[in-house]
Amino acid sequence: MPHKCTKCGREYKDGSTEILRGCASCGGKKFLYVKEAEINKDVLEEKSIEEIADESHEEVLEIVEQPTTRKKEVEMYDRVETIRIVSPGSYELNLEKMAKSDERIVSVGKEGSYIIDLMSMAKDEPKKKRTKKR
Amino acid sequence: MKIFFQTFGTVKKKFSNFLNSFFKKKKTRIGIYGPPNAGKTTLANRIARDWTGDAVGPVSEIPHETRRARKKEDIIISGANGSTVMMDIVDTPGVTTKIDYHEFLEFGMEKDEAIIRAREATEGVAEAMHWLREDIDGVIYMLDSTLDPFMQVNIMMIGIIESRNLPVIIVANKIDLPDAAPARIRSAFPQHPVVAISGLEGRNVEDLYETMLEYFG
Repeated sequence: MPHKCTKCGREYKDGSTEILRGCASCGGKKFLYVKEAEINKDVLEEKSIEEIADESHEEVLEIVEQPTTRKKEVEMYDRVETIRIVSPGSYELNLEKMAKSDERIVSVGKEGSYIIDLMSMAKDEPKKKRTKKR
Repeated sequence: MKIFFQTFGTVKKKFSNFLNSFFKKKKTRIGIYGPPNAGKTTLANRIARDWTGDAVGPVSEIPHETRRARKKEDIIISGANGSTVMMDIVDTPGVTTKIDYHEFLEFGMEKDEAIIRAREATEGVAEAMHWLREDIDGVIYMLDSTLDPFMQVNIMMIGIIESRNLPVIIVANKIDLPDAAPARIRSAFPQHPVVAISGLEGRNVEDLYETMLEYFG
C-alpha cells in the first residue's frame, strides 16, 4: 500500500525508502497507509489526511529520527597507532604520528587491537640526544 | 684517629646539608612499573596511605584500570635506623606489548567501552614509557608471583631499565595467594634485589621500605 504524508499529502510508493528521511516536500515525519483505490480520497472528498486516518483506522507511520549512535570516526591524526594492518598485505600509515616520534604502535584489523613496540619507545627522542661529553 | 674520622664525618654531613639548603637536590622520582594486573596501584595506594594517609587511584580486577600515570608527591619514607628519603611515586599504566579489546569483553564489558579502554590502555603504555625516558630516577618493577616471570615484556622492560642505568627493585607481589612462587622471580632476576610482598594485605611492605631506602636513598 502506498503512503501519504499526513502534513502535505504527498504520495509515496509502497516500500519507498525516501520517507525514512521524512517527506521530501514538507519534511513531515508522519505517513499514512492508504489503499490504492482511495489514494485521492483526501482531495476528492476535501478531507485532511488526519480525518482519513481516523476513518480508515490505519496506523500512522511515524519516522523516528535515528539517534546517531555511531561514534564519530576517529580522525587519522587522533589515532594512537602508527601503522594499521587493515587486512593481510594492506596497511595504513599514520604519517603525522610517524613524523612526530619513533614510537611504533601497530593496530590489527578494526579498532581495539594493538601491538606495541616497546623498544621503539625506550629510545631517547632524537632532538634530546645528549651532547658529547669530553 | 677514630674520633677524628667521626668528627670529620659529622662536619662533612653538616656541610653537605648546608650546601643542599642552597642547591636543593631534585627529589627522587620512583616509577612503579610492571605488566597489567601486577598490583601497581594497590602498592602505590599502600605506600601513599602508609606515609601520607591518601590514596592514589582506583583498582580493579580488569586489566588496564590505570590508563594514565598518577603521581603522588613528597612521600617521606623513614627506616628503622632513622634515615629518611623523600620521593615522588609515579603509578604507571601496565606495560604490555599486546592489547586486544576482546580481553575486556570477558569481564562483561560492552564492546564500545572495551574498544575505548584498549585505545586508552595503548596510550597509557606510551605514557608510561615516556615517563621512563624523561622523568624517572628509580624503578619498582612489580610482578605477580603467581605467574611466570619469564614473559617477554618483563625481560625487555628490565633490559630497558638496566640500559638507562636506573636503580631497580623487583617486587614479587601477591604472596597472599596460595600458588605464589616468589623464588621463581628471585632466580629469574638474580642481578636485582627482589622483595616478596602482599600489597593487598600489606605483608612484608616494611621490608620493601627498607630496600627502597637502601637503593633510592
